Amino acid sequence: MSDAPIVNEFNQGPISCHAFNGDRTELAICFNTNVVSIFRKSGASWTQTSTLAEHDKPVTSVDWAPRSNRIVTCSQDRNAYVWTLDGATHQWKPTLVLLRINRAATFVRWSPEEDKFAVASGSRCISVCYFEEDNDWWVGKHIKKPIRSTVLSLDWHPNNVLLAAGCADMKARVFSAFIKGIDKKPAPSPWGEKLPFNTVCGEFSNGSGGWIHSVAFSPSGESLAFTGHDSTITVVSPGTGDVQSIRAPFLPYLSVIWLNESQIVAAGHDCAPHLFELKGQQWAFSASLDAAVKKADVGFTARDTFRRMDSRAQSATSTDTEVHTQHQNTINSIRPFSGTPGHVEQFSTSAIDGKLIIWNAHSISRGLGNLHL
Amino acid sequence: MAFRKIDIDALEEDAFGEDEIEFQEIGELRPLSDVEAEVNSRAQEVRSLLQRGNTSGALTTALQNPPYGAPYHAAKARNTQTVMEAVISVKVVDMAQVAKGLSPEEQDVLMKYLYAGMAAPEQYNSGHLLSFHEKLTEVAGQGCIVRVITDRRTV
Repeated sequence: MSDAPIVNEFNQGPISCHAFNGDRTELAICFNTNVVSIFRKSGASWTQTSTLAEHDKPVTSVDWAPRSNRIVTCSQDRNAYVWTLDGATHQWKPTLVLLRINRAATFVRWSPEEDKFAVASGSRCISVCYFEEDNDWWVGKHIKKPIRSTVLSLDWHPNNVLLAAGCADMKARVFSAFIKGIDKKPAPSPWGEKLPFNTVCGEFSNGSGGWIHSVAFSPSGESLAFTGHDSTITVVSPGTGDVQSIRAPFLPYLSVIWLNESQIVAAGHDCAPHLFELKGQQWAFSASLDAAVKKADVGFTARDTFRRMDSRAQSATSTDTEVHTQHQNTINSIRPFSGTPGHVEQFSTSAIDGKLIIWNAHSISRGLGNLHL
Repeated sequence: MAFRKIDIDALEEDAFGEDEIEFQEIGELRPLSDVEAEVNSRAQEVRSLLQRGNTSGALTTALQNPPYGAPYHAAKARNTQTVMEAVISVKVVDMAQVAKGLSPEEQDVLMKYLYAGMAAPEQYNSGHLLSFHEKLTEVAGQGCIVRVITDRRTV
């Protein structure tokens, strides 16, 4: 396995969200439109096999349940669909979900057991959806209090009951999404013991304001990491009462995942995934995972110099406008690609530049000395 | 584009308004007299440190516990003046060193005051503030500027 990141260019516009199937041979991706495209891996490239076209406003989020092979999509049109593959025709069939929201849906994720999913929305609530056998229908139950603004991101706790939400009211919260008849009573955890639906198990702020863009439970579920628009990453561990906010010197992070219990990767407006590590008891920024090699100036002549000065009002020495990272624009989503939840080996990032890049996490520990900003 | 002028929050019964955001970020406000007394005593302290030539000490002291909240208009202006006195006394060659000596929290607060100072060019020397801004950005990064923009606790 080569250490170099695998860059997939689709050239179909900005990527708003992406999700892989269980064995990573298929990819659901949305190019900021109302359709989701399904690609199948063929050799080194991806071939489009079908489209999921049922939404009539841009799709905001997609998630693929790895074991039950179902896709869920949500959109600004306030709807969510569960897509199942028809074995005979090999067509994806949509089922509408009753979300009962009056603003755009922003984010969707399957629970670890794949028997529920949660949809975040602009109507200040989270719709926790489950299949009701009696009515043969997906229904949603709302988590409302005390959310004061749009919910921007979600993450499920490994116990299938707790749900973390990052919100535009500058708070990250942990809720119970316990559904009677579906969930078994969860074992007590640092987040709480008695967990009826909508219990608020924690409410956290990052200190200097800003929307919470992304939330992620650690693999064990003992800690929660969240990133805000104030360029901070906060890690809270209710078991020890530890709350650490790292003020990063970079632009805000839009997405965050845990590689393992002591490594976090975050990416966003700086166009590169950044690694944060737990050293002793202290979380700290460690390295950018994008080597950010400066491209050599090709054909650098006096004529080019004058042309540059003419077109961009820049002298030859100023190359500040170039982005030297692999991604050429804001990264909006990071997802684990290979490995297990506590030991992620590869992860994928999608960005507004229309690229999907698969990064090797294992090269981090080995080549950390060579990496620099 | 008339629709852009419609205040859609007015139609919402339970809007997440400025007052609530400010309360959430700042918390319970302290009595005005307390805040003013604190700001005035800090001004004295900073001035005496400056007289003894301890510029970095004066700056650190000036950046502690700034007054946040809408009612403290006068106290905020007074505190900005105190910080600016300390900032102006830092020589351009020392700026990078002084910025490095501040904690991340203090760097964020200093950035807030640099912008507040630049908002009043008739009062404070913008050229000096701009060079401090450059040096501070080199030390604390763009994240520091982003935090000034997002933070509701304005100075």
